[in-house]
Amino acid sequence: MTIGPSIVYAQTDNRVVVQVEKVNKYFGSLHVLKDVDLTVYSNEAVVIIGPSGSGKSTLLRCINHIEKINSGRISVNGRLIGYYEKNGRLVEDSERKIARHRAEIGMVFQRFNLFPHLTALENIIEAPTNVLKMPRDQAVTDARRLLQRVGLLEKQDKYPNQLSGGQQQRIAIARALAMKPSLMLFDEPTSALDPEMIGEVLDVMKELAHEITMIVVSHEMGFARAAANRIIFIDEGRIIEDTSPEELFSNPREERTKLFLSKILH
Amino acid sequence: MYHFDWQVFWQYLLPWTALANPLIRNGLIATVVVSIVAQAAGVLFGLLAALSKMSKLPPLRWLSDAYIWYFRGTPLLVQMSLLYFGLGVTHIYDFPDIHLGFLLISGAIQAGTLALAVNEGAYMSEIVRAGIEAIDPGQMEAAKSLGMTTGLAMRRIVLPQAAKVIIPPLGNEFNNMMKTTSLMVVISAGELFFGFTQVNARIFKPFELFIAASFYYLFLTTIWTIIQARIERGLGERKGIERGPGMAKRLFSFGLGGGKGYR
Repeated sequence: MTIGPSIVYAQTDNRVVVQVEKVNKYFGSLHVLKDVDLTVYSNEAVVIIGPSGSGKSTLLRCINHIEKINSGRISVNGRLIGYYEKNGRLVEDSERKIARHRAEIGMVFQRFNLFPHLTALENIIEAPTNVLKMPRDQAVTDARRLLQRVGLLEKQDKYPNQLSGGQQQRIAIARALAMKPSLMLFDEPTSALDPEMIGEVLDVMKELAHEITMIVVSHEMGFARAAANRIIFIDEGRIIEDTSPEELFSNPREERTKLFLSKILH
Repeated sequence: MYHFDWQVFWQYLLPWTALANPLIRNGLIATVVVSIVAQAAGVLFGLLAALSKMSKLPPLRWLSDAYIWYFRGTPLLVQMSLLYFGLGVTHIYDFPDIHLGFLLISGAIQAGTLALAVNEGAYMSEIVRAGIEAIDPGQMEAAKSLGMTTGLAMRRIVLPQAAKVIIPPLGNEFNNMMKTTSLMVVISAGELFFGFTQVNARIFKPFELFIAASFYYLFLTTIWTIIQARIERGLGERKGIERGPGMAKRLFSFGLGGGKGYR
């Protein structure tokens, strides 16, 4: 089993965006991530698959420090996230510094997590105006362009509860993009959606895959095939396979990968 | 057989005669103003206590715990007496009267308002906390993932949503507050009930006078119930939260979560 530097997939760029080194994460006595190493280069689209409870969502949440790691280190854009180094030890950063670092990382959630008291447009301009202190006019112009892009310009004044699940998730993607992130994390973005709405969200994501680095936890194999340059299989807190989608589907190395694929591909 | 003095009753029930008496007029004004000020300050104290209780810093949590423990665990009458008489006799603070031109705010009113506010803050803190905890943690996560700090996310995302959860119980608290101001009678603060007791001390007609007093409180709480229903309906229409019960039910349903009586 070769994992790591001997990469069989095509890279579009060599700049390292995410560097995960020897990361361990526990929930109480439960060992969720075990010595996980992962490097993601700019403009890659990485899909993470794995059984539920395998740690894939936790890994994603550690990358923007919404979940704290117990050991190891994670860098995003060349800087440790959530910590700084002092006398060889990692000390947690100030909240303000963590927030500033997180602003470079967009995240899309399974349950959308749109702000229900704000309209679609207000959801999108909320962070640019309050975090980046962007003038409102400019934020609105940007937001309308993003809404256009996800095909929802006419819904700008609707509240989240007036939108379908697919529409909400597209707004959530626009909201994350409004911060002009250099990395997008998608945490099972389509698994709370009715089947007929999955396509519209995946279409937006596929287009996005051409221009931004993204890590996607998802079992949408159609998406992985069409848009991912790399697919990672996690089981019991360890990365089992890290290869191209074609390679994984045609020639899975590990028995448990085969077993898992047979389950999700039916 | 008791002779009910209708003349006194009507004199103190009908506003055009009752309010001619400065004790009743000023008392009514004081009750309304003290209720509003004490409730507003109570909300502020409650918010501070709730945020402290959820803070990462242990001393803030302990302070908040101690505050809530004391003010919910002791009677308001005791708190008020301690504040006014206790601080007065020790000369820690004498609550001197404040003169604002034509307006005089007596020391007793100040102490009473402060006691009501601090006591209310302890109850409001639990209401505020419940409101904040009712908001999906995903909201805070989403806000943080967009680069917001906890404080900004609280202010812009969580509290506006929690406010909708907090407003119905807040309305009930205010209803209680207007009645509870009558406890200030023990420190002789010139509110509505004090006015009636003063009149009673002069003419000794407790039955007639306190029935009349009851009507004044009923008037205040009924007006407020109507305003509260309006506020909640407006809130519901705008952002799609559940409608409160109808007016008849609000006014005449007893025992369901309503008054907790004197504290």
